[in-house]
Amino acid sequence: MTVSSIGDLARSFMLRNQTTVLKTELDRRAFESTTGRVQDTGRAVKGDFTSLNGIDGALTRLAAYRTSTSEAKTFADGMQVALESLGDMAQTLSSTLLLAASPGNQTSLATAGRDARERFDSAVATLNSRIGDRSLFAGTETRRSALAQSDVILDALDMAVAGLQSADAVSAALDAWFSDPAGFETVAYRGGPPLDPIATAPGETVSLAATAADPGLRETLKGLAMGALVDRGILLGNVAEQAHLARRAGETLLGSASPRTELAARLGIAQERIASAETRNAAEATSLRIVRSALVEVDGYEAASALTRAEGQLDTLYAVTARLSRLSLANYL
Amino acid sequence: MSLSTSLSSALSGLQATSRASELVSTNVANALTDGYGRRELELSARSVGGSGSGVKVTGVLRVVDLVLLSDRRVAQAGSAGAGVTVDHFTRMESAVGTPDSSSSLGQNIENLEGALLAATSRPDSEPRLADVLEAAQGLTAQLKDATDAVQDERARADDRIARDVAVLNETLMKVDILNARILRQVTADRDASALLDQRQQLIDRIAGIVPVREIARDNGEVALVTTGGAVLLDGRPAVFGFVPVGLVTADMTVDTGALSGLTMNGRAVTLGVSNGKMEGGTLAADFAIRDTHAPALQAQLDAVARDLMARFADPARDPSLAAGQPGLFTDGGAVFDSATESGLAGRLTINTAADPSQGGALWRLRDGLGAATLGSPGASRILGSLQEALSEKREPLSGEFEPGERSLAGLASDLLSRISARRLDAESEQGFSSASFNALRNDELAMGVDSDQQVQQLLLIEQAFGANAKVVQTIDDMIKLLLGM
Repeated sequence: MTVSSIGDLARSFMLRNQTTVLKTELDRRAFESTTGRVQDTGRAVKGDFTSLNGIDGALTRLAAYRTSTSEAKTFADGMQVALESLGDMAQTLSSTLLLAASPGNQTSLATAGRDARERFDSAVATLNSRIGDRSLFAGTETRRSALAQSDVILDALDMAVAGLQSADAVSAALDAWFSDPAGFETVAYRGGPPLDPIATAPGETVSLAATAADPGLRETLKGLAMGALVDRGILLGNVAEQAHLARRAGETLLGSASPRTELAARLGIAQERIASAETRNAAEATSLRIVRSALVEVDGYEAASALTRAEGQLDTLYAVTARLSRLSLANYL
Repeated sequence: MSLSTSLSSALSGLQATSRASELVSTNVANALTDGYGRRELELSARSVGGSGSGVKVTGVLRVVDLVLLSDRRVAQAGSAGAGVTVDHFTRMESAVGTPDSSSSLGQNIENLEGALLAATSRPDSEPRLADVLEAAQGLTAQLKDATDAVQDERARADDRIARDVAVLNETLMKVDILNARILRQVTADRDASALLDQRQQLIDRIAGIVPVREIARDNGEVALVTTGGAVLLDGRPAVFGFVPVGLVTADMTVDTGALSGLTMNGRAVTLGVSNGKMEGGTLAADFAIRDTHAPALQAQLDAVARDLMARFADPARDPSLAAGQPGLFTDGGAVFDSATESGLAGRLTINTAADPSQGGALWRLRDGLGAATLGSPGASRILGSLQEALSEKREPLSGEFEPGERSLAGLASDLLSRISARRLDAESEQGFSSASFNALRNDELAMGVDSDQQVQQLLLIEQAFGANAKVVQTIDDMIKLLLGM
């Protein structure tokens, strides 16, 4: 095509197009430098959202795990504190009871019995303790107390041992009652089956399954109850058998230390796993955020300098437009 | 009598220059008129009896480059069609939602998963169970919104087709009428330039709708043919038929007869095939949206909804559910039925057993949807297994996804990726076609009126007019001299 002239509209068409292009660029850069992220996410990830969505999903999950680990941690800490205080009680009382059981020590036997009675009350209260209105040792029945009132338990025990004349018989009856589904599990334990494992990290769970019906705790309760029965007048008048029963109670409490410690150890392992899951989750979230920002975030310096560049170009374009529109042959005639 | 011959030559010069000035003024006046072809005066030497005697206006030339015009029209159709497609995919991308938008399908799935996890930690907490319900409702709402957007998009495409078809029919008829008028002008040897301008403008109106080529016929008439070979006008205009429906739902297709196809002179035209007769402009792009792109997206949304329903209806996850009972997500209360999968994403509702506002109870989220009585408040097994159900890898059963097992979030992500990739493809295609359109358009406009050149022309005309007038005056003086002798 031989160019003999250039139509007026051609120039304005060209200028208009360039203005549009520059303004779009300016908008994009302004968005990017003010928000710090790319305007067109689809283009930034080249139309493949798999990794970005994967990261977002993982971050949401990790946030949820943060809630559940911190709750599990509080819960496990509460259980550990309760177990510790139960352990202290059992240990102190077992020596008191064994001491009182030595022959001819009737007054101290009565004192030890009263002590056992009070400690039984507080043990029941400890096992009934709650954190955030959530029962610690009641398994899945988190809204109920784990155990019935101590009086109710002791009343039931009174009935179970009524009329028995020897300490051995009483101890055997208590053994039977505590392992009988119609006994302890019906009258004393009011909770449910152990809690389901709690998810602490993707594919990882921690079990906080201890309940008041756990053999270690049951054994402790049995020892405490045995001592408490002395205070409630069992085998009244037969000091020797009462002392024998007190000794049996002390021995039971001593024997309960090992399963209780095992329980505490299991809980300790769970606490440790919760803490390490928490740390790992936090680290994972941080590294995911770094990867995410590499995918969809813009470098602030680059965005700002591109914004300045676009601004300068637009400036020039306006100047050129103004100059060109003033240039007309008609103005010189 | 050579003096009178000179006088008549000078007079013809005056006539020619005044005619030229008339054209300059017309050109300048139409400097901004779209479709205006710059006029140039065609002159030749007049001869009488073999010797020169003045100038003759042989005609008015309307400067237009038909090849350029034709290329520009084809590029215009391509650019407009690609623009419609880009807009469609852009809207669909935002309807499904990218991860950075406030509400997206992926985010709603994540929310549900997060809410389930939090509820697993404290199954006895009513607010957490309420969160699960809310997240599930958010997900169904998002799926419904996306479905509505897809069907709205089809309805809008249907509207645009109706409008395009109306423009096409009306324009073809008008071009036919103009053809006849131009024929009369040309055969009567009169200037038809103004009519040619009008016809060019008219044909430009349909250039975005279909890629049209102009074929010159005798006496200034033109025939119009699409690049695919459909004859739009040749002697008589083609008549296109289309019936818009207004409201489009997911189950409406051309095959079921619920949507109208395109007819040309009463015969059905197939659109959406490569190298088809009408491919290349907004008309074909809109048909593609209504009948191909949007239904494919709807099928994928339905597949996601189906996958979601199946994940939550598994009795192995929620033992209180009998086989054949709907889970947390229902098809308007019913179980999934493959016969009515179309549009499922828009009908998804939450099982009323879990919704307190519909007579259900939140604790059924924890104890199982089929549970008759309240269970232990601390039981988290079902909540935990529902959370696992979301991330479990499953093979999608419909929606033409690539084979492979995915989590629900992965499936939704693939759906979004597909739209986004299509959008980017369409954008780069639009980039090419609009660049070529702009270049051609620029060349075309460069052929238009240049006011500087016109003013220059005017200077020449002024000089020529003065010279001719001077010649007349001089001859007049000479004749006076002769008469005064």
